[in-house]
Amino acid sequence: MRKLGIGGFVTVGLMGFAVGGAAQAADLTIGALLPLTGPAAPIGIEEQNGVQFAIDQFNENGGLDGTPVEVVFDDSQGKPDQGVLAFNRMADLGDVPVMLTAYSSISLAIAPLGERREILIVNPAAQSDSLADASSYLVNTIPLVGDEAHVLANYASENLGKSAAIIYENAAAGVSGRDSFKKFFEAAGGEVIADEPVEFGQTNYRASLLKVAAAKPDFVYIAITQSQAAMADQIGQVPSFPLGIGNTFSSPFFGYPSTEGWYQTGIQSGYPSDELVTKFKEKFDVDDMGFFAREYYNSTNLILTLAQSLVEDGKELTGKAMREALFETGTFDSDVAKLEFTTNTASRPVEILQYQGDERVVITTGSVAE
Amino acid sequence: MTMLLVHLLVDGIVTGCSIGLVAATFAYFYSATGTFHVAHAGIYTFCCYVAWYCIGLDIPFVPALLIAMIVGALLGMMIQGLLYAKLERLKATPLVMLIGSIGVLTVLQNVSAILFSPNIIQFDLPWRTEYLEFGPILLSIPQLLIVILCPLLFLALQVFSSRTALGRQIRAVASNPELAQITHLRPQRMFLYAIAISSALVAVPGTLVGIDQAMQPYTSLIILLTAVVAVIAGGIGSLAGAFLMSIVLSIIQSVSVLFVSGRWSLGVVFAIFILFILLRPEGLVKRKFKREL
Amino acid sequence: MNFLFSFIVLAEIFAIVAISTNLLMGVVGIFSVAQAAIMGCGAYAYAVLAAAGAPFFPAVCGAMMIAASLNLLTALPSLRLAGDYFVITSFGTQLVATAVFINWVAVTGGAAGLPGIPVAEIFGVRFVTAGEFLWISTVALALMAFSFWCLLRSPYGKLLHAIRLDEIAVSASGRKVLRAKVGVSLVSGAYAGCAGALYAVYISFIDPISFDIHVSVLVITMVVIGGARTLAGSIIGPFLLLAIPQLLTLLEISSSLVGPVRQLIFGVILIACVLWRPQGIAGRSL
Repeated sequence: MRKLGIGGFVTVGLMGFAVGGAAQAADLTIGALLPLTGPAAPIGIEEQNGVQFAIDQFNENGGLDGTPVEVVFDDSQGKPDQGVLAFNRMADLGDVPVMLTAYSSISLAIAPLGERREILIVNPAAQSDSLADASSYLVNTIPLVGDEAHVLANYASENLGKSAAIIYENAAAGVSGRDSFKKFFEAAGGEVIADEPVEFGQTNYRASLLKVAAAKPDFVYIAITQSQAAMADQIGQVPSFPLGIGNTFSSPFFGYPSTEGWYQTGIQSGYPSDELVTKFKEKFDVDDMGFFAREYYNSTNLILTLAQSLVEDGKELTGKAMREALFETGTFDSDVAKLEFTTNTASRPVEILQYQGDERVVITTGSVAE
Repeated sequence: MTMLLVHLLVDGIVTGCSIGLVAATFAYFYSATGTFHVAHAGIYTFCCYVAWYCIGLDIPFVPALLIAMIVGALLGMMIQGLLYAKLERLKATPLVMLIGSIGVLTVLQNVSAILFSPNIIQFDLPWRTEYLEFGPILLSIPQLLIVILCPLLFLALQVFSSRTALGRQIRAVASNPELAQITHLRPQRMFLYAIAISSALVAVPGTLVGIDQAMQPYTSLIILLTAVVAVIAGGIGSLAGAFLMSIVLSIIQSVSVLFVSGRWSLGVVFAIFILFILLRPEGLVKRKFKREL
Repeated sequence: MNFLFSFIVLAEIFAIVAISTNLLMGVVGIFSVAQAAIMGCGAYAYAVLAAAGAPFFPAVCGAMMIAASLNLLTALPSLRLAGDYFVITSFGTQLVATAVFINWVAVTGGAAGLPGIPVAEIFGVRFVTAGEFLWISTVALALMAFSFWCLLRSPYGKLLHAIRLDEIAVSASGRKVLRAKVGVSLVSGAYAGCAGALYAVYISFIDPISFDIHVSVLVITMVVIGGARTLAGSIIGPFLLLAIPQLLTLLEISSSLVGPVRQLIFGVILIACVLWRPQGIAGRSL
């Protein structure tokens, strides 16, 4: 495994260079502030793999003008105050002009700091709706919950029925999902007859599932971000559980007998080439290059692309310059996704998928309304 | 509506049985030593990971569970021998013992993450999602195991504590360590036995809940908290009180979703508990306010 | 330098909470595991007042008053309950408070939290960066520490010590135990409320996780490691416990396990601390 660039000596040394502004100051350290311990750690580590992989690939191909790009990982533990500390730590000790983030609450806490210190913050995963205008230096490479819920609510009210129940995770993303879905679904003439929260990190969902099933809705909108497998198992145990629908986070529900015929919205997120995916699996000893790994891989590549273009134009690698370059270029196309920036949030196509046997079938594709 | 009530009741009882054994074993060690052993939650998780790892190596379920129990017992003895006994010699206050125990919990959680997996784990056992029907009620095999094994082990602990020579010796040490010292009972040794027993037993609900639902390194503290509340509400020193209160609390929590939105259920349980403890501090099963078995 | 400053600011804020806990726990013997909840009440109160347009000082005072009265309410059971029982009751208080923070969405913003708490402004001077905010937190800590120091040395402080050592004797000698306990709860709550307000304005974002059971336990750990019943202990504890994770980031650790390994080392240091000095670094034996 590659060493981390966090080693004080290395980074402080590099800092001198960057500040000195030598003619070809191509040294770049990217920060990544992820939840590496605590209940969200499983996701955080997948994200970390994605970032590390992108950096390694880039450096193997010669790096930035011959200089390897460094990455600094920091653990937010899923707590805002730790996030603020880590932000300042990376900004001062690592002198990073750009940072990847995760987790709605942490991204919201560091958003104003990014603006004050002119550090570009790239968010490839958190979806809370308040991230849309949290800061001019925060860009979201993934549509927010509301965007997906809008597409889904319209589809559901036309095709699946007019009475819905909601199961949501009692955390920023889940609550945001519940509120947005409710708003759009009611606007489309539907009615939400029950909503039940589950706690982050909980694995026994039976009471909530039973209550929702007893309300007999046409379908259940599920907005949880982890432990989907446990929930799918337990759904199998509830007789006549209604049809489930969900968003991008619902992907792990696929492939269980109890979830046959379910729908989910999916942010179109493709795989990089087979060769790269195989390499990724070997490197991190995992079965799949998961959604978060792909998104962080892609967003890291986005940052590297920006850096490359700045170096080619002979500009300095600052957060401000990167932000300007991002909006100047506007569109970034890759195997994983086509990102278009007109606002701080990338607009990307949203698909409605259905689980049919061992396949996820695309039913329709809608773009997110601005 | 009544059907839903029955289902929720059953769910509460199953959860209550698993928490009940956690509570009873916690109470057993607490009343023997007076140590607020938060690291019990860490052992719960760690043993589950051990069992998961063994099953990953194609060791069948029963030996895997036994290995987890043995590992739990050894781990507990290490904690008692290397930390609690030392702290007691240093005349540490209960609060300092608690902080030390929190340190152990942090270590165990992260060792589980480093040695095994930081991810949510699911057991690779085909019978995990098979169900048995009892009239309208479906119970998964792991749930059934919880309902049968946990109360049985609890009864075994009761019998051990009151009927066997060793059990009586541990109780003697608990109620009067100085006297026990004089009569050559060697309290430290008894404490080692007590922690070995409670740690081995807590491996069972840990593993079974992991099989039934899923397990991850960082969430066992909340289970222990519920268990501790049951211990207090059941009356410190009463193993039966702890076990029964766990079931009562779990049923309240499960059934409460009928009346309030689920997001208040934990708050409701603890609010009831605070009122309860204010009005009836001696616990449901009346005991003297004294540390004894 | 911002990093160093932001570390000091946070450590100073937690030092104020530690003083509050120390007053309650070390001095009168009310073992509360709910100080983060009280701090949270102060933080939310500040956020709500600030959003309603209250200037910095009145908002902080409001937060302190609300936290003081809530702390009194939660400490009341200690008049009836002893030892372990009160510890567990305060556990319950903490969990109920978290449930309220999460579910009283209209006021607290629920699990999604309250973003965009305005920057502190005193007489037209804005305290934006960590370096600037350091002035506020340092002055606040100095004030709190000074009042704590005075309190401990006053005759009142002696009475409090006596209550912890032998409550029955004190009440038998005709001293008003109840009044003393009520007074201490109010002061301790005000400290925690002040810390909460500073936290809210400095971080500019608060959510229920910032004030949950883990934070309460962290604060207790700070007091015990630093040393109970001394002012130095309440300051050393937070600085040390917040510094350890910062220093651990300088270690090079294979990337996929960096988080758990750091936490593991933190746990080991905790165990080593209690074994090395059970009474705390600057404490007197409890």
